[in-house]
Amino acid sequence: MVLLIDSINAIRDFLDTGGQVLLVIGVLIFAMWLLILERFIYFFNGFRSYKKDVKNTWTTRQERNSWNAEQIRQAMISRASMRLNTNLPLINVMVALCPLLGLLGTVTGMIEVFDVMAITGTGSARSMASGVSKATIPTMAGMVGALSGVFASTYLQRKAKREVELLEDSMVLDH
Amino acid sequence: MKLFTQMTKMALFAASISFAGASVAAEAMNLDSLLKTLEEGKSVQTAENKQREQVFATRQNEQVQMLKDTQAKRNQMLVESERLETQFEENEVKLANLTDTLSKRMGSLKELFGVLQQVAGDSSNKFATSVVSAQLPGRSAFMDDLAQKMGSTSKLASIEDIEKVWYELQREMTEQGKVSRFTTTVIVEGGNKAEQEVMRVGAFNLISNGKYVEYNPVTNTLSELTRQPVSRYTATAGDLQNAKSGVVQFALDPTGGSILGLLVQAPDTVEQVHQGGAVGYVILGVGLLALLIAIERFVSLLLVGGKIRRQLKDNVARDDNPLGRVMKVKDDYPNVAYDTLELKLSEAILREMPKITRNLTLIKIISVVAPLLGLLGTVTGMINTFQAITLFGTGDPKLMAGGISQALVTTVLGLVVAIPTVFIYTLLNTRSKGLLLILQEQSAGIIAQRSEKGE
Repeated sequence: MVLLIDSINAIRDFLDTGGQVLLVIGVLIFAMWLLILERFIYFFNGFRSYKKDVKNTWTTRQERNSWNAEQIRQAMISRASMRLNTNLPLINVMVALCPLLGLLGTVTGMIEVFDVMAITGTGSARSMASGVSKATIPTMAGMVGALSGVFASTYLQRKAKREVELLEDSMVLDH
Repeated sequence: MKLFTQMTKMALFAASISFAGASVAAEAMNLDSLLKTLEEGKSVQTAENKQREQVFATRQNEQVQMLKDTQAKRNQMLVESERLETQFEENEVKLANLTDTLSKRMGSLKELFGVLQQVAGDSSNKFATSVVSAQLPGRSAFMDDLAQKMGSTSKLASIEDIEKVWYELQREMTEQGKVSRFTTTVIVEGGNKAEQEVMRVGAFNLISNGKYVEYNPVTNTLSELTRQPVSRYTATAGDLQNAKSGVVQFALDPTGGSILGLLVQAPDTVEQVHQGGAVGYVILGVGLLALLIAIERFVSLLLVGGKIRRQLKDNVARDDNPLGRVMKVKDDYPNVAYDTLELKLSEAILREMPKITRNLTLIKIISVVAPLLGLLGTVTGMINTFQAITLFGTGDPKLMAGGISQALVTTVLGLVVAIPTVFIYTLLNTRSKGLLLILQEQSAGIIAQRSEKGE
């Protein structure tokens, strides 16, 4: 319990030194990783059974030759592709937003530094330090978020593309 | 003398005129009689002069006597002054001896008084700025007096004074370790004065009514901070004031109020937005436009999406949604070849596309334009700053800093508008792409399935 309170206090202090933007970045990274995890779980769990169903429907179909069959196959693949690609653009945008938010934090922190300068002059480096920490910590957090997300999102995109191709290959048209 | 002769001449002239007048009136006065008169006058004058001379002669003796008296007096004074001078010299020697004796007798006490003076001066300053003075005013006046007294050589501190210094130092020390309550006048928001219970936390903070209070040592007044810190800090102030006993968490300003003082001067969010100037308002306007468009798009895409989903489950093509309209093509042309049907389908889809993707590009443009506008604001702000430098020089960093923070605000506004807009654009784009995908790839498949089932 004490450990929990301590860690909550540590997080609070960190958020305080980083300012409000850091909180937004934190929420964004959290949401991003939730989506990424959901995708991972779906790829390795939910999608397998769906793929099996699709393949079954296709192989149990008597006629796989006509225009109708081709259109139906196309629709099935498109549906699978839609399922695979759900939320992927959102994850991508979140990755792209992380450094932008970091930049926002930098600028707001710099504003604070200059506000302090406007009030106290250049003499007091100590009172400027809070603004500087608000400028640098969100930048760092944004970079960390973007770097952590960019690999995951690239992997997910490649995986989705490959799965669609594999599905297309496994659903053969008769000639 | 010259003046005298002139006057007599004039008198003569006047006399001759009057004589002439008289001769006209009575008989003519002849010149002999005039001469006679003159002669008589002369003799009278000589007599007068002689008398005067006599008087002078007698007076001269008197003068000599007076001179003698004065000289005697002067000699006497000289003697007196000599006497006083020697006495002065003697006194001086005496004085020097006495001072010597005094300093010899004071010995180590002198050091003590020096330290006492220094301590009194130092603690006078400390008491003046200490928040304890809000509760116990007037302590620095005594210390000031004492320091001044010790500064002059002729006065010594009494034992009472020294003990009072000790007492005051001890009291300050004791009070600094206490959390105490007292009632005094506080300047509350709006400049009104109110009798309030004030709580003092050691030598650090003053709180009243759950608000942080500032102590002004110059006017010796307490005033509520016009801008209070974040609510979770002020909440601890309220907790502390309501607590009767036990340990309470409290956010204190270890600088004794100067950090809280800076808080008042820092501009709040609204003031900062206004610092952005014209460019800032343009960015906000553009952002508002994007928001309105996005809301409209969200609602309409949600409605269209719902209808399409319903259509997917339904066999009968309905007219109220894009998918239904596309599927209707099959019903409209029941007996055409497959490739013609495909052409008709893609034509129908093309017709539906603008309705679904409407205004999305505008949101995308705004998401790109907003940071650019922010950059514009930054540059204009910097131009203002440099103009200020040309006018006033770089001597005053405060003058420049104001302009720079102005420049940065527009960048912030640009980012603040751009970030959600990019987000919204992606959401809307994904949604509309999904709908289009349903139309493009699935309409044909759905039709094929239907026709197979129908057959």
